Amino acid sequence: MSEDVTTERSTYRDLLDPTSLALRHKLGLLGLVAIGLLPLGVGPLMALKLTGALYFAVFAMSWDAVSGYTGQISFGHALFFAVGGYSSALLNLGWGVPPAAAILAGTVLAAVAGIVVGVPALRLEGPYLSLITLVAPLILLQIFIVFSDIFGGELGLSSPEALLTFESFETAITANYYLAFGLFVFVLVLLLAVTRSDAGAVFTAIREDEDAVAAAGLNPAKFKIFAFVLSAAVGGLAGAMFVHTPSVGSPQPSQLLVLTVSIEVIIAAVLGGMGTIVGPAVGGLVFYMLRDYLGGLTWTVPVVGVPVSELDLLLFSLVTLALLFFLPGGVVRWAIRNGRRAMRRGEPGADRAVPDGGERVEDLRTPLERTLDSYDEALRDRLNPQEGDRPTPQEDDHER
Amino acid sequence: MVNVLTTAVNAVMISALYALVAIGFTLIFGVGGVLNLAHGATLTIGAFTAYYATAALGLGIWTGTLAALVVAGLFSAVLYLGMIRWVQDEPIMVMILTLVTSIAVEQVFVVVFGTQPKAIPSLLPGQLSAAGITVQTNQALTFALSWLLIGALIVAVNYTQTGKAILATSMSAKGAALVGIESDRMYLYTWLLAGALAGVAGVFLGSFRTASYTMGRGPLVLSFSIVVLGGIGSIRGSVLGAYLIGFLEVFVVSYVDSSLSGLASLVVLVVVLLVKPEGLFGRELAEA
Repeated sequence: MSEDVTTERSTYRDLLDPTSLALRHKLGLLGLVAIGLLPLGVGPLMALKLTGALYFAVFAMSWDAVSGYTGQISFGHALFFAVGGYSSALLNLGWGVPPAAAILAGTVLAAVAGIVVGVPALRLEGPYLSLITLVAPLILLQIFIVFSDIFGGELGLSSPEALLTFESFETAITANYYLAFGLFVFVLVLLLAVTRSDAGAVFTAIREDEDAVAAAGLNPAKFKIFAFVLSAAVGGLAGAMFVHTPSVGSPQPSQLLVLTVSIEVIIAAVLGGMGTIVGPAVGGLVFYMLRDYLGGLTWTVPVVGVPVSELDLLLFSLVTLALLFFLPGGVVRWAIRNGRRAMRRGEPGADRAVPDGGERVEDLRTPLERTLDSYDEALRDRLNPQEGDRPTPQEDDHER
Repeated sequence: MVNVLTTAVNAVMISALYALVAIGFTLIFGVGGVLNLAHGATLTIGAFTAYYATAALGLGIWTGTLAALVVAGLFSAVLYLGMIRWVQDEPIMVMILTLVTSIAVEQVFVVVFGTQPKAIPSLLPGQLSAAGITVQTNQALTFALSWLLIGALIVAVNYTQTGKAILATSMSAKGAALVGIESDRMYLYTWLLAGALAGVAGVFLGSFRTASYTMGRGPLVLSFSIVVLGGIGSIRGSVLGAYLIGFLEVFVVSYVDSSLSGLASLVVLVVVLLVKPEGLFGRELAEA
């Protein structure tokens, strides 16, 4: 992936101060709030589907942390999802370990699986590593089939205990939704923080030129293992919590382990935009919901006489092929770039040349920006009443 | 004793089929330096072409096999020209694209033919008996045809002008370009050739067992093992690897546990990758 990478540096104060955020970050926060409010507006069935979508998005983000950033493409990420889900379910079903502890154990075991796959990354490069990751879940699936009496073979295990239990069905659904939402936000923030840190910069550098990283005196192997373990733990956590959510996930190969799961996560991440974390989060949500929607359609395609519901994976793979080819950066990057361009175009005098790169003095903000800015101002007054005449964020940047 | 002999003969027959699949795979990797994960899908295309020709068009199976060879070869060539040619400098991109392509192809077959396995008629009916061992004539034909194609390929690569050019490109694309070989055309030839071989292998596999939309996955994974074991890019390594893996598969399934099918070769693959990634006859890729 030779997509350019944004290398904006921002301090944590900037991250914590909502008034200093760029427009896309504000929109992202609005989106998060909207996802948080969704269960209030939709029925319980939809809330269940959205819960599944949130777990899938977490899984897609975990793929991105290792594959999108370090370029060590994992073709078998379902391995970590399955190790987390299966070990947690087995501990709960076989030994009666309470779900919370089982989930923790599942996460740890998935991290161990991350070491097992990440250590060969020391020795193997690019395609060879991808081969190992492609084969690892196939081996696990074979083991599950050979030891069917323990792992339930291709049918899988029965559902383990729910992590959250409530008297009322509706309450349970809402609670599970917010549990998934909490995990989603936690993982989003965690992975954003890691990938925007100095370690994240090294990840990207490994993707672009591993030899250069080594030449700079850093050990690429250390960073690769870190990326694998982090990604595996997050994937395992998602898998473990997923199987403990009744009527959403269950410990079955078809949901956790088969080849299509590994490929679906790649499709989702690529659609959203590899190497952005936010992209796979959006891609994962959209992919899951859109597939669900297409799967429920009864409309028949005229010429071939096949219902759309049978074409969903075909459609997605074709769209992914087209996107990989024409829009390799993914939808989120594309939207940000075009959004910026559109906003600049909307400004009066945008096409006017500006002498010596200076800034235009007139108020050139779009209505959306003005609204957001006025909110900023109100918020700033509330947060810092004593510094009424604090400089605007733009000027602030120049001072630093 | 006879039982062991029969198993061995079966292993030889199935190994011949694996060799056909693996040689195409190794050609593309050895010459172009990219892994074609749609190789299994090409095999499926071959099998379903033969099925369609015999079941729907009412043609003979020999015509069907010819059609499979042509259609699978063309698919492979179009895949190269339309997609891979533009991204071949990025091996990871090629892997993702071919993997997604293979999913798309599988889904097309699900939509067109459904998920039920389809029977493909044998190319030669009947059985051969010698020294107390009975072999399906169809399998014997596969064995003969496999060696015929492998022999033809080795002769072609070593003694014809184009073959030598392909060999030169596999050794060094830059060096080949310096002496006026168009590497793009050589890549196209290897994709065409690999596709045609996979198409024929698909017909045989479909006539031994049945043709289904996921039938290409197993042979694809076996090809990984074979090619990595034999050494990536080496034709003789692939032939030897195919027989080693073929024997391992058949004997494990016959004498250890039939549910271990597929596992043994995967373990071999992982061990070889970790211990000796260049394989038996392989060389490190000369240049990027």
